[in-house]
Amino acid sequence: MNTTCTANSCAPFVGVTESLRKPRYSVANDNEAFEIEVELPGVSKSGLSIDLEDDILSVRGQLSARLPDSWKPLHCELSTLDYQLRLRVTTPVDAEKIEAKLEEGILKVTLPLKAAAQARRIEVA
Amino acid sequence: MKIARCTPAFQFGRTPDFGPRLRHPLAGFPAMAQLFEDFLPATNSSNLVTDLHEDTDHFHARFELPGVKKDAVKIELHERVLTVTAERVVKAGEKELSRTFTRSLALPEIVQEDGITAKLEDGILSVTLPKQESRKPKVISVN
Repeated sequence: MNTTCTANSCAPFVGVTESLRKPRYSVANDNEAFEIEVELPGVSKSGLSIDLEDDILSVRGQLSARLPDSWKPLHCELSTLDYQLRLRVTTPVDAEKIEAKLEEGILKVTLPLKAAAQARRIEVA
Repeated sequence: MKIARCTPAFQFGRTPDFGPRLRHPLAGFPAMAQLFEDFLPATNSSNLVTDLHEDTDHFHARFELPGVKKDAVKIELHERVLTVTAERVVKAGEKELSRTFTRSLALPEIVQEDGITAKLEDGILSVTLPKQESRKPKVISVN
């Protein structure tokens, strides 16, 4: 019953760098856009940053609540690490029109495809 | 005055019994639990990630509920067992799937049942469980 919640108790694992963890995410796409959904429980809008640099989309989420020192841990399953997700975007996207929305701990990023990358139907004359 | 024998309910240094209901094989190893979850998508519904803390006046239970709206959370208290049930709607292509998560917590007797409050923020549900005033540890001064 004496588990302590410190950053050190969460050993680095696959996809997890020193003091960050990789959130669960999913990617869906249609002919117009990519839709990326990232699970970021505990992150508020102010602790979130999204960057697209070259072809890497990186999402960083900082936990908004630091637990008071007076709280004695009895049972710990929630991680205290911040989130980081890096995705390589290989299809050209319209960086100006990227939209992001954070709701109930879920981040939704919409990356519209550039017109050139969209599939075109060719009519047979 | 009669001095009664110490009953089992009155033990010194007794830790609150949130008990085996909360025990998880990978409790304390969130990274490992995450890894297992990635490979073995949960088929049962009892996979709510939970935390429990204590301070002098309260117990604080936290549940990870990403993507769950306020009205999709149900907190029930029955026979000193607190049960949190949450429903999350996930889009799977064209279809919408609904997943139910649940977790129960056996409350120690010190918890004052009618003072329990809950708050949902950024996908984390925080439940505050106050301790009964009369059952808190007391300091008895020596005359």
